[in-house]
Amino acid sequence: MTALTAPPTRIAPNTLRAAWRVFWYGGRMSYGMLFNWARPSIYIPTLIGGPTFQLFFFAALGSYATDRSPAYFAIGNAVQVSALAGVFGMTMAIANERWFGTLPALLATPANRVAVFAGRFMPFIVNGLLVSLYAFGLGVVFLGVRLAPGSIAVAALALLVTVFSCTAIGALQGAISLRLRDGLFGANLVTMAILLFCGVNIPLHELPGWMQVVGNILPFTHGVEAVRQAADGAGFRQVGWLIGVEALVGIAYAVLAFALFVLLERSARRHATLDVR
Amino acid sequence: MTPGRTVRLIWFVTWFNVRILLASEFFILTTFIAPLIFATLAFFLFRSGGGTAGQTLLYVALGAGMMGVWSTTLFGCGGAIAWQRWEGTLELLVNAPSRYDYILVGQTLGAVVFGFYGILATLAWGVLLFGMPIEATYPLILPLSLLAAIVSLGSLGMLIATTFVLYRHANALGNLLEYPIWLITGLLVPVATLPWWVHPISWLLAPTWGMEAIRGATIGAAPPTLAIAMCFVLAVVYYIAARVTLVFVLAKARRDATLSLQ
Repeated sequence: MTALTAPPTRIAPNTLRAAWRVFWYGGRMSYGMLFNWARPSIYIPTLIGGPTFQLFFFAALGSYATDRSPAYFAIGNAVQVSALAGVFGMTMAIANERWFGTLPALLATPANRVAVFAGRFMPFIVNGLLVSLYAFGLGVVFLGVRLAPGSIAVAALALLVTVFSCTAIGALQGAISLRLRDGLFGANLVTMAILLFCGVNIPLHELPGWMQVVGNILPFTHGVEAVRQAADGAGFRQVGWLIGVEALVGIAYAVLAFALFVLLERSARRHATLDVR
Repeated sequence: MTPGRTVRLIWFVTWFNVRILLASEFFILTTFIAPLIFATLAFFLFRSGGGTAGQTLLYVALGAGMMGVWSTTLFGCGGAIAWQRWEGTLELLVNAPSRYDYILVGQTLGAVVFGFYGILATLAWGVLLFGMPIEATYPLILPLSLLAAIVSLGSLGMLIATTFVLYRHANALGNLLEYPIWLITGLLVPVATLPWWVHPISWLLAPTWGMEAIRGATIGAAPPTLAIAMCFVLAVVYYIAARVTLVFVLAKARRDATLSLQ
């Protein structure tokens, strides 16, 4: 009788190289396998068609109800549509591990948890950026959006940071969804809340005080403002602090999401509920 | 089937579907929470404009409520047949002695009726949070307006159910068609302010006339007779189109032996 032995691994699991592979390949694989919308028949209607009409809807509603230009609403919504990829995508990338039955296998591996978790961000940040850039293109062509040439780099940085922070709240939602029956309920709620609380369509100072407080702790609020000011020609000196606050908000959500993920993993192991749906 | 049995069947399926939707977190969000968020957003926008658009809070509340009705119709009906496939009940229902189109009528009406709860929620939101007065210039016509809107949206829902099933990912079509219909049917932005080529498209859509019928009875200057009539006319047209499509879809599914395949 011979004892079963694990096949030799070329890379020891605790090395930095192994963590990098988990981050890089695991992140890419999570996009293709866990993101339900990563196929043209869903991607195009949802992440191209949906944002297109969202932009036109709020540009029409906003310019009809207020005296602001359609471009104002186009910029806000062009940034916000990245939430479709960031929030929904990250929710699926984490919560679907459970629904597709792969969570126990994933958690049984000695893979570095930070690498597993962080790797998921990358494809959704890229995806969110693509969706936002497409929406900006629409805004430029149809809704009079103009970006000051000297501040395009600042606007791009603000957009990148905003997409990161929205992906981070998506990660938190994904971690929460590991315990919920319907994870996309929360993702929908977060996306709608961003539309209302974060200055996407209504300037923050026009909202009641408690709504401003909520807006300030959500992603997008500082990022949208930074993109708007940069589009008007503000440089990094003027909007740098907004980008910094947005980055801090994103990091806070990412840390919170990871902590919750680890907490739920421990709890599920302790109560033998890892695979309970 | 006798007319009495038909009505009983549709009634039963309608309420059965309402109860199913009540257990769905997604539809609770779509019907009750989303309209409140959009109504709040629209209210702040109109207030931000200093009332320049001249629209009342009731206008906004009804429009936002109808947005919820459309979302519920779109998602509730768009996936109706697909869900029966996933749950394994489609073959049983198609082969039952009851006509399948009546079952589908009940199912789509259930989604629309459920959606109309959202209008009540939005009105309650307006009254409780913003002190919105509830008034109707033609209170006796209002029930007829509501009925016309429900019937026309129910028929449109049936058409959606029978056509969306041809597309593998019906929910993706739902994601695509939510905002454009909100926009071109004048739920929050009057159709008159949109480009001229949008107007004929809006005339073909039930939410346009349903909204006009309800708004006409509540804040209109004249009774909304044209809107109510158009609701019923469109309901008949949608039903015929849906019936033809359904016969085609079911015949194709039987021929290809794909009735239960996803």
